[in-house]
Amino acid sequence: MFTTGFKFFYGLGSALMAAAVVYGYTTGGDGLGPLVMGWEGGVGDHLGYGVLLTLGFVAMGIGLIMVAFRDADPAAQSHYLGVESVPSAPLVTGNFWPVVGAFGVGGMVIGLVINTAVFITGLILCSAVAIEWMTTAWADRATGDPDANRELRNRVMAPIEVPALGATMVALVVLAMSRILLASSKNGAVVVAGVAAVLILGIAVLYATRPQLGRNVVAGLALALGVAILAGGIVAAAIGERSFEEHEPGHEGAIVEIVEGSTSVEIAYTGVEASL
Amino acid sequence: MTMTESPPATATGTDGDTAVPRIAGGLHTWLTTSDHKKIGLLWVAVSVLLFAAVTVVGAVLGFERADADSVDIFGGVNSYFQMWTLYRVAFAVLVVAPLFIGIATVVVPMQIGSTNIAFPRAALGAFWTWLIGAGITISAVLIGGGWGALDGVTSDEADAISLTLLGTGMVIFSLLVASVCIATTIVSMRTSGMNLSRVPLFTWSMLVATSVWLITLPIAASNLVLAYVDLHHGGPSTFGNPEPVAGATAIWQQVDWVVSQPQVYAFAIPLLGILGSIVPVAAGTRHVSHSAMIGLIGLFGFLSVGGWSQPAFHDGTEDFLFIAFGLVILLPVLGSLAGAASTLAEGEGIGFKDTHLLASLGAGVVLLAAVVSGALRVVEPFHLIARSTTTGVFNLVMVSAVIAGVAGLWFWAPKITGHQLAGGLGKLVVLDLVLGGLLLGLTDLVSGFLETPDFLLAPPVSSTADALNLVSVVGAVMVALGALGLVAGLLGGLRSDAASAGDDPWDGHTLEWATTSPPPEGNFSEPPAKVVSEAPLLDQSGSNESEIA
Repeated sequence: MFTTGFKFFYGLGSALMAAAVVYGYTTGGDGLGPLVMGWEGGVGDHLGYGVLLTLGFVAMGIGLIMVAFRDADPAAQSHYLGVESVPSAPLVTGNFWPVVGAFGVGGMVIGLVINTAVFITGLILCSAVAIEWMTTAWADRATGDPDANRELRNRVMAPIEVPALGATMVALVVLAMSRILLASSKNGAVVVAGVAAVLILGIAVLYATRPQLGRNVVAGLALALGVAILAGGIVAAAIGERSFEEHEPGHEGAIVEIVEGSTSVEIAYTGVEASL
Repeated sequence: MTMTESPPATATGTDGDTAVPRIAGGLHTWLTTSDHKKIGLLWVAVSVLLFAAVTVVGAVLGFERADADSVDIFGGVNSYFQMWTLYRVAFAVLVVAPLFIGIATVVVPMQIGSTNIAFPRAALGAFWTWLIGAGITISAVLIGGGWGALDGVTSDEADAISLTLLGTGMVIFSLLVASVCIATTIVSMRTSGMNLSRVPLFTWSMLVATSVWLITLPIAASNLVLAYVDLHHGGPSTFGNPEPVAGATAIWQQVDWVVSQPQVYAFAIPLLGILGSIVPVAAGTRHVSHSAMIGLIGLFGFLSVGGWSQPAFHDGTEDFLFIAFGLVILLPVLGSLAGAASTLAEGEGIGFKDTHLLASLGAGVVLLAAVVSGALRVVEPFHLIARSTTTGVFNLVMVSAVIAGVAGLWFWAPKITGHQLAGGLGKLVVLDLVLGGLLLGLTDLVSGFLETPDFLLAPPVSSTADALNLVSVVGAVMVALGALGLVAGLLGGLRSDAASAGDDPWDGHTLEWATTSPPPEGNFSEPPAKVVSEAPLLDQSGSNESEIA
């Protein structure tokens, strides 16, 4: 009749509602207030009472869903389907998206503190992960053949994800690198930019010349890149942007003053004068 | 949706031609796996490493406190405060909770006859999110952040403190996702016949623990978000508390309740389940009262719900519920220990030679010390609320939970690593952690009676308190050494040439012992037979009278 899951959540919901009533009366509730949700009388501390009552309703709602779909009791489900055991389902396949999502959340967290663009990049990454995740979950159950499912997923997603992933990675590297360069000293920025360029070129050459490169190496490089970007963000948060020369208003860029009847041209550029 | 999955024709994870199986896989596998055993091992390995780091921080804090006349090591009281808060938060959400989540992620699906954990991709994502969040939190504290600042948050510190708050929120969020995976597995993926009254006690304790975490930890995450928003829009909120507690900060007060009574007990709920799972196997008999243990673990979980107890919502010692929770929680712990003693008395030829049995009993003793200390703390005439007793209770609960984790690791090592862990080293680790934990916690309990404050780096209030500080340092160092021993033990177990465990070395009672060590992908070569009691393997062997639920 009632599934185990229903009984658990309904019991939990009842306990939480009882707790809400007790809490209401122990924090100043009067009359029938805590029993009738404040229809008559006070409920005591509104926040605690409200939280407990809401959780109680949520638990009972989950319980009702469980009994409606008989989703928590294998024996009940087998009986419902009229089979000895519940039907088999394909194994859930693994992929990189959970890790990518984790880095996306990390990017959002760091971006909230150091730079809005990094936050938005993290948000886009998480949104992409959500779409990929849903598509993969759908494809996992499309047919009974895992290979056909994988092919189906790739046919739908590959034309989108290859260019999108490439563009996202480029944007992420550029944004993160810009923050690192801004935080570095003038000479340090040159070194950092040089090392980054060599690294990117080196990895690309390595992958181009050795397409059979092990997937563990590729995974390691991707992981190292992600960690480096987040670490760079934290360093940037620690030391802030380096100070830049302040330009006086009206003197941004070169100002050329040509004096009539003269062979000399004065060029004023952030305080530097030159004569021809 | 309940599902059974078709296992592969051959078990994976064997070591080539040798007979010694191992958990295999390169970096790609660990980054993309959907196998709950690998995901669980990731949680366990990183939390054990972080345990070693946290205990070193604890020992250094102890040295600093023992010589409080000068702040030599940290260079300032504020830096000391930041590391003191990091120690507490990290112990709870970077060590204890993930350690139990890791063990549960490996063991729970097998205990209930499931082929995998629910939402395996989410489980993997939770681990990596937690790991990145942990890295952000620790890094942010090291660059000058933390959960507030004693002398007020300056503009230079604001970014690092914001990063700490959001990093902690990220950690809590990922723990909640992992909790959802475990709770859903237990609720909806049990094998035929296994109703909730027949689930193994460890599985039940994880259902209770994850439920309590899901109810309470979002409140902490909300507090952190509010503190972050306030930090960016004018001063941290006091959340309705007009006078911040002396020596602390408004931000820390919004986090402190997570690692104080009663919420701190929520991190030790699985301890009772591990005790209840190991003792019957060691005794070779059924638990004398499985049903009573279900109730006691549930009661312990209910009494550890602590979101309501933060300073904005109660005024400490005068709150009836606060005092009642602190006293009544003694009952489930005493009941669980009495149940363990009775079960052992029912058994025959108990040698107390197994590391997991010693560890589970040791964990129970340390937890008993914790709840007794907590009960004394809430009794008003002693005035221990703001004293060092608070730290004592915290340390006792955390160390007891880790000892229970050691018991679980040594007990389920065949299923986690494929090998048995070294028994001799394990006993040393357990002895070290039990003695160190008791020294660490009970000295702070006694110091509380001598009016030593909870946090402030102040000269000892008496020569006795000074001596107790030194004893506490000895305890902290012992716990740190125990942590290093635990790391060595686990690394030894992960070696591919370690001794093979055998499928059921302890004559276990529950379904995880019905499969190979390490288990194949999909866990079982064929679906388990219908379960009719809490000890299905005893039913199959015809041992003992069945306690049909």
